Amino acid sequence: MLKLHNLSKVYRTDEVETVALDNVNIEIESGEFVAIMGPSGCGKSTLLNIVGMLDSSSSGDYVFMGENVAGYPESKLSNIRKQNIGFIFQSFNLIDELTVEENIELALLYHNIPANVRRERVAKVMDKVGIAHRAKHMPSQLSGGQQQRVAVARAVVGDQAMILADEPTGNLDSAHGQEVMEMLQALNAEGTTIVMVTHSPAHADYARRTINLFDGHVVTENLRAAV
Amino acid sequence: MLNNYIITALRNILKNRLYALINIAGLAIGLAVYVAGTVLVDYERSHDRNFANFDRIYTVSSLFSPSMNIGFRATDGAYSAFVPIMKASISELEYAAQIRRDEFLLSIGEDDFYQNIRFTSPDFMRIFDFNYIHGDATAIDRPDGLMITRSTAMRLFGTIDVLGRSARADHSEELTVTAVVEDLPANTHFNSSLVGTSKFEAVGNVEILKALKGYDADQNWGDLSINNTTFALLPEGRDATWLQAAVSTAYDEHYPEDVKENISGLEVAHLSKANTFLWDTVGLPVLTSISILGILVLVVACVNYTNLAIAQSLGRAREVGLRRTMGANRTQLLTQFLTESLVTATVSMFMALVLLEAVIPAFNQLLGKAVSLNYGELLPWLLSTVVVVGVVSGGYPAFLIARTDPISALRDGAKGGRAGGFLRSAMIGLQFVIAIFMLATVMVMYFQNQRVRETINLFPTSQIYVLERLTTEGVESRAETLRSELLRVPGVANVSFSNQVPFEQSNKTYDVSPVPGDESQKISLNRIRIDHDFLTTYDIPLVAGRDLSRDISLDAPGDDAQTINVVINELAASRLGLGSASEAIGKSFFSLVDEGSDRQHIVVGVMPDQNFLGLHNSVKPFVFYVSENRFYASLRIKTDNMEGTIEGVHTVWDNVVPDFPIQAKFLNETFEGVYTIYRSVNFALSGFAAIALSLALIGLFGLAAFMAEQRTREIGIRRVLGASVPQLVRLLIWQFSKPVVWALAIALPLSYFAAGQYLNVFADRINLPIGIIAVAGIIGIAAAWSVVASHAMWVARANPITALRNE
Repeated sequence: MLKLHNLSKVYRTDEVETVALDNVNIEIESGEFVAIMGPSGCGKSTLLNIVGMLDSSSSGDYVFMGENVAGYPESKLSNIRKQNIGFIFQSFNLIDELTVEENIELALLYHNIPANVRRERVAKVMDKVGIAHRAKHMPSQLSGGQQQRVAVARAVVGDQAMILADEPTGNLDSAHGQEVMEMLQALNAEGTTIVMVTHSPAHADYARRTINLFDGHVVTENLRAAV
Repeated sequence: MLNNYIITALRNILKNRLYALINIAGLAIGLAVYVAGTVLVDYERSHDRNFANFDRIYTVSSLFSPSMNIGFRATDGAYSAFVPIMKASISELEYAAQIRRDEFLLSIGEDDFYQNIRFTSPDFMRIFDFNYIHGDATAIDRPDGLMITRSTAMRLFGTIDVLGRSARADHSEELTVTAVVEDLPANTHFNSSLVGTSKFEAVGNVEILKALKGYDADQNWGDLSINNTTFALLPEGRDATWLQAAVSTAYDEHYPEDVKENISGLEVAHLSKANTFLWDTVGLPVLTSISILGILVLVVACVNYTNLAIAQSLGRAREVGLRRTMGANRTQLLTQFLTESLVTATVSMFMALVLLEAVIPAFNQLLGKAVSLNYGELLPWLLSTVVVVGVVSGGYPAFLIARTDPISALRDGAKGGRAGGFLRSAMIGLQFVIAIFMLATVMVMYFQNQRVRETINLFPTSQIYVLERLTTEGVESRAETLRSELLRVPGVANVSFSNQVPFEQSNKTYDVSPVPGDESQKISLNRIRIDHDFLTTYDIPLVAGRDLSRDISLDAPGDDAQTINVVINELAASRLGLGSASEAIGKSFFSLVDEGSDRQHIVVGVMPDQNFLGLHNSVKPFVFYVSENRFYASLRIKTDNMEGTIEGVHTVWDNVVPDFPIQAKFLNETFEGVYTIYRSVNFALSGFAAIALSLALIGLFGLAAFMAEQRTREIGIRRVLGASVPQLVRLLIWQFSKPVVWALAIALPLSYFAAGQYLNVFADRINLPIGIIAVAGIIGIAAAWSVVASHAMWVARANPITALRNE
């Protein structure tokens, strides 16, 4: 699916140079479920942002589906991103002014898909994540777990091959957290590649592989037997 | 506590310098314009208060019949023959006087000066009081009496102790200085820059005009010029209504019937109206416009402040949250933020006053005014303005900030949310309304003024040098010598005598009819007396027929001849029913003169319709014929070595007419002279409008910044989901579109109305103000959108991660 080769990210200000990622080499196969762990400030989110093409690396290669995308212009990255990658955030990041349905549809809006096809796919994915009965509600009327389910639906409605989840359970209680993890696992079982940043070892256990980061380095990679 | 608020306010200003600069500068400019407008309008409205009888002085103005087609509603005087009649028939009316301005050469010893004198009757000195240095109100009781101001005395005599000194007018009549008075202040209508008249320098007895020019004021039912004002002193215990009724009765009883056809009535108006009379009579409420524009500019500035304050308050959410957590209640926060806006308003007002103090002297110098900021008088008004501006513009942001609950303020930063949505839309709408209105009005003014200016191109104005005073006694007899001598100057191509030159604002009309004596077909023609060289000198083409020639005796048969060949313009031909230009050739029309001499005019040439009077006038029906009584000599100067030629012309004049100094200027100077008064009004109006427009655009930028800020997270989400920058820019612009449509719906009719008011002043109007207004609408939207778009672009380009980071 993707391969990072000697990838580094350095943040520069006038006085300080902060190395967020230092010669990282990671390979993620298609259909994998990978958890990225590590203490605060170790570079997890930076890594996820670069993988998600929201940010670019300072040096090194990023090969995504056989294509070296390092140095691609934003418009090209944006195109690859919207075709292939879905995002889930800790704070859900739904748009308050749009209904559940409209929030999910947003992901298809920028794909040139006709309205009736969009509605069909939105309905289908709402069924899948069990939020269909809340279709007309506003995000503020939902619980955190429900909101995150909407976010998951939005991430996969475009048939994205890969989902990047940045602490998807961070704002949820354990029951709702587990619910979301099971949903991700089910998606993975259907073939979606999932890369997830988490602080929770329990939730990391859902993944087949855990990458531990520390100060911008990959320290260990633990492969787990299938659960 | 209050101290703490003020300190926080000042520190905040220092901390956000750029923001504060935009904010304070905007507000300061808004306040400066508003204060300047108010002070200026107050200044113009408070003219003439220095006169003791101010409350009781009225002017008597003549209302023109619509058939006169003059472009003015009224003029500020009655026929001078009416003044003694009015006094006689209204027994209570003790004093009434009329001014007639004229210029004479005053010879004092060896020195000659051209001096403008206001000729009037002795009543004038009882109606108006002056600060006499020498002499008293009886100064012009004697016919040769002359009252001059201090600066005039200094200019003419070099001293003010000149009582009894004499000055000879036009080398004939002796005038005696019988009074010297202090100069009148600038804020009298006599010296006003809004009226465009000559300064108040000298007053003489109108009787002397009989000796000097054969002008008999008591018999004058024919000459009515603007600024030849008629004054009446209201008797004690009577009011304006009484005076109006009495004057109207006198008009009904004593105005000759044929004069009544042109003057439909008389109107009395208080002296306070005299200063703006010219603008009122052409229908342009200059002062009201300036007041309204001043207020609009201030409103725009306040809306700007509000927008920017809200935008900036987002960055201070944490401070607010902390203050709430520490126990500040809503009222305290409200007080704090209101204090801040009051501090800002105070600082802005201070800057505005500094700015005004710097600008006003130059302004006074430029326009001949004496506007000043009298702080003692203005202080309560300035203070209340500061409070109103501070509370109005800072109130909503303060309310918005104080309302946020502490936890969400600390966590998310304040988000205005939906509650303020309507108000914000209304603010955008208001900005657009004002911006588009201003732009449309300024554009209409600009194009109309271009149109007015274009009339300067009708004639080779920069090559025509006009000499004056050829009808002065003693000069007239030397006119032909002057002509032949002038033609010998190498650079002089043509010399032509006429009684009027283009752009001179004078309607000299007489009545004619296509059928002898038939009053029912009467039309009024503007008459220009010329010589055979006029059309060539002025490059006036003919559409049919021929130019007037020295070889044909009927072209110049003399003033008493019963038949005369004339050149008319196309409009005159069609008004007279003579048909098209070529059809009119050879046809006749006849004058309808009191004496009954039906002089036959045979059309030999037809010229195109040119706006001979220019400026706000429409094209009038004109007749040109050869006659004596020609005040001007127009010289067509060749373009090479013009300086040498002018020098030659002056030498010739000094040789032929050594007793009168030359008075001459290029025709374009005449044009600029008349145009100046339009320029100063346009300058003020469009200056105000331009300031308002730029403030509105700055305000829109602030608002765009605010709204984009509010939607940062949403923009981030959309970016992540694949929205492109153009898509997002469109989304943000779209947000402005609904208020824009509303704004257009309000602004366009408003502009149309305002443009109509303005254009009414001009008879020769630009076409399609609707087109211009539509273009202004489009430009307004485009400008506003590009302001919004440039900001939206910047926001949309920002890294979405920053927007979505939730720590």
